[in-house]
Amino acid sequence: MKSEVLYPGAFPMVRVDLTAGEHIKAESGAMVAASPTIDIESKMEGGFLGALSRKFLTGEKFFFQTLRASRGPGEVLLAPTVPGEIVVLELDGVNEYMVQKDGFLAGADAVKIESQMQSLSRGLLGGEGFFILKISGKGTLILNSFGAIHKIELKPDQEYIVDNSHLVAWSATTSYNIERAASGWVASFTSGEGFVCRFRGPGVVYIQSRNPGGFGNWIRQFIPVSE
Amino acid sequence: MTGSPNALCFGDACPASGAPCHVQVEANGLTISLKAGDGAQHAEAVPFSDIAVSAGGLDHDQLVVKWAGAHGARTLYLKDPEVIRAFRAAAPGHLNQPFEQAAEQVRQVRHRRRVAWGLTGGALIALVLGLWFGSDILVDVAVDRIPVEWEQKLGESAYRDFLAQQQIVKEGPAVAAVGEITQRLATEIPDNPYKFDVTVVRSDVVNAFALPGGYIVVFTGLMKKAESGEEVAGVLSHELNHVLQRHGLERMVKSLGLLAVVSILVGDQQGLIGLMKQVGVELLSLKFGRAQETEADLTGLRLLNWAKIDPAGMIAFFERLSEKDDGRVEWLSTHPMSAGRAERLKTELAGLPKKSPEPFTFQWKAVQESLGAVPKAS
Repeated sequence: MKSEVLYPGAFPMVRVDLTAGEHIKAESGAMVAASPTIDIESKMEGGFLGALSRKFLTGEKFFFQTLRASRGPGEVLLAPTVPGEIVVLELDGVNEYMVQKDGFLAGADAVKIESQMQSLSRGLLGGEGFFILKISGKGTLILNSFGAIHKIELKPDQEYIVDNSHLVAWSATTSYNIERAASGWVASFTSGEGFVCRFRGPGVVYIQSRNPGGFGNWIRQFIPVSE
Repeated sequence: MTGSPNALCFGDACPASGAPCHVQVEANGLTISLKAGDGAQHAEAVPFSDIAVSAGGLDHDQLVVKWAGAHGARTLYLKDPEVIRAFRAAAPGHLNQPFEQAAEQVRQVRHRRRVAWGLTGGALIALVLGLWFGSDILVDVAVDRIPVEWEQKLGESAYRDFLAQQQIVKEGPAVAAVGEITQRLATEIPDNPYKFDVTVVRSDVVNAFALPGGYIVVFTGLMKKAESGEEVAGVLSHELNHVLQRHGLERMVKSLGLLAVVSILVGDQQGLIGLMKQVGVELLSLKFGRAQETEADLTGLRLLNWAKIDPAGMIAFFERLSEKDDGRVEWLSTHPMSAGRAERLKTELAGLPKKSPEPFTFQWKAVQESLGAVPKAS
């Protein structure tokens, strides 16, 4: 399986080359185009209960689609729903990433996806919700973001502060605490940041350059209200 | 690399996401093999004496091993339970305490998380239970804020709608008797905001009911069944008290639900009128609850006593009704069994100050005869 990000920037697409018999799983609705040798199946990843918990807990889709090169080699074009960059990671079987609920686009079949409950404070204030995806296993993992993706590399015990709702994915070796953006409550909220996540290395944190919730609030003012 | 990677190594020469490496537990240390930048295998033996351990990672469920090696400070994140177990078994005494501390840290994090979720769950359950059981208090507060004029408008429209389809007894001894009883009871009510309007309706149903705002209907069936004016007075006193305690409103607000309660509390009365109009039609079918019936019984009895009407009539009437109650399970009915009601009333009566009853001006026999003889009302 080989992958290449086409048209990097706001409206990218990823091309995945599959050898005969190879298959990948992708977010339902992610396929844009495919060779005629590719079959599309839908699958409840993690079984019915796993799919159900993913659907209700993380808001991710109930079904993942499986794209299988069953009639010979071929290629698949995949794209996310929202404008934003795509990043391709290689999982080596030891690395684990926590991914916010809309961040998963596609992954090799040996990539394992589970939903995981966050701690109360992280779930309530972290901006990612109570449930996130824990992605482990081996192979290619393709994530998407809202806006551009920026990678922050943290050395052991190095700290970095990220505004909540800007997180895309982070290594399981990092840890984070939720704290107020400024030292006072009023300043925290008037500064427009409210709560932030203080990450501590080692590991990698992928952040997105736009906040989906903030964008939603901004665009709402332009939507005509029907009586 | 010997064996598949089972840990992540962090340090100067390693990528930020960690270099996958294989950790092997030996008798006197760990052997860490990883691929160096040039692609060559590189193994490093780290004696236990150089190692510090702690818990780390997102959920504090990984073992963090630190040492200062030939290539600078290195950090290892171990998750594989088998390697951790082997490490712990082989580790010398000086690592026992850090291991214990790390384990304690993991336990604490898990415990804190469980407590936090437990508290949240508990708070949610408490909220639901509070709304369930505390709704009565909310309903009371909401009902207190509804003006009597509203109540009267509401009751009146239902009253007129009901009477339009009934045969009303407009005059005669029965109407006069009911009027006298109501008058005697009403004068005993302090600060009465209601003007009671009692109508006698020709029907064999043994019943009487009260609508919010002071509108009361007595069926001739009940008057025929009663053996004295005092018995009818008992029923009327009970119904008047439903009005005074605003039981009808309470039922309405309850059936309108929490939405109505909230809109009354926050003062959105426009929305409430709309809601009430919707259920106004159903007003007649509203049943009072068991607690409300008991309350109306007891306050009704006291009112009779103040008005110097013999309360024995009320009790006798309920006892007579209870003969028809055989087989009814009290708990399942919205009306407590009449026998139980009579018992409760007797107990209450014993505690009331004795007053010598004053008789009515009408002759009950004549009233009853008039009901048989009165021509059908138009």
